[in-house]
Amino acid sequence: MLDRASTFADPTIVELLKTKFVPVAIDQAYQRRQKDAEGEFYRKIALQGPRHDFEGSTTQGFYASTNSGKFLFYNNNRGPGGEERLIDELNKALAAAATLRKEVAPIADGKLDKKYNPRSPEGGLVLRAHSKVLHGYDPPKDRFQKIFQEGLGRDNFWITAAEHKALAKGELPESLKLRLVRYHFVDNTRGEPPMWDRDEVRSLAMTLNNGELRGTVSLSTADGKRSYEAEVLGYLESDGEKVTRMDMVVRGLFEGHGTYTKNPPPGKFPLAISFTIADGSDTADAIPPQGSRGWVEGYFE
Amino acid sequence: MKFRKLSLAVVCLIGCFSLTAESSRAGLNQSDFETLRESLKPDTSESWRQIPWRISLLEGQRVAAAEGKPIFIWAMDGHPLGCT
Repeated sequence: MLDRASTFADPTIVELLKTKFVPVAIDQAYQRRQKDAEGEFYRKIALQGPRHDFEGSTTQGFYASTNSGKFLFYNNNRGPGGEERLIDELNKALAAAATLRKEVAPIADGKLDKKYNPRSPEGGLVLRAHSKVLHGYDPPKDRFQKIFQEGLGRDNFWITAAEHKALAKGELPESLKLRLVRYHFVDNTRGEPPMWDRDEVRSLAMTLNNGELRGTVSLSTADGKRSYEAEVLGYLESDGEKVTRMDMVVRGLFEGHGTYTKNPPPGKFPLAISFTIADGSDTADAIPPQGSRGWVEGYFE
Repeated sequence: MKFRKLSLAVVCLIGCFSLTAESSRAGLNQSDFETLRESLKPDTSESWRQIPWRISLLEGQRVAAAEGKPIFIWAMDGHPLGCT
């Protein structure tokens, strides 16, 4: 979230990455554990840097390596002057890579570690989800806080082939409703959010009539410290076999935060979420839902 | 005259109250739907989107090997292009 609007808003960094490097974006919680060629290549690079407790803690940050995996730098500093430091490191890395240049063989995917290579269900649907806090924040103290306050949360909602078929017939499966609210009615505008346990879904009423989807939902932790009371309105069109349109908006009052989503607006604040069919034109359309991380079977339960 | 003005005010007040109660019962309406959809649309001109990110490290390695370039990795908890 922060990097999108700070580090990668810098025109020099953008130009260097576009023209001089091959830029890759990953959720390292997968690659540091993957038992396959991709995992091995990631760990080879990260092992040469400062963070290499692959089972115990995060290895997040910016890395540069040669195309053979020789480590060039690691950077995880986004404070004041962060962009200048990264530009300096990128330029030094380019100079070092030039001296190390040699013929390198491409690495084949080989057999994939299925646990960490989930794919969206064949015959199913992927919806893009975007979330935003509509208002309620105290004035930001610095530009980083402003970025968080204005941030747009992003995720993908996966729908199974059976659910897709039911939707195309005008039905709204219970499994879909529950997954939608548990994993996607979350405040992910400031980082990785906590999801909702099954028993934290206090009430859920959602209907699909003549292509109009309406609903109300009440979500709350047992201690009441985190909650979301929201309404849903959506429109669905199909040709009888496939869903051709599925647009939804959610609006309600959210309260509280998780470990990685601290500093929300005080008290209850308006949170909105929208959903629309992903057409595959965005690289991010292929990213698994955050709620499926490490256990895709649990996401579909 | 005074009575007519007062009546008009009462009628307006009742009308406004009814409208508010109706809106509350109806929940989100078509206008809310359009407004929210518009305000939650991502800005596709953002700088970070102009970078040709790949989400497979090995695909990146293969391109880097073919083009003789180094690799830059944006590694996060949660996917950098998704929910993080």
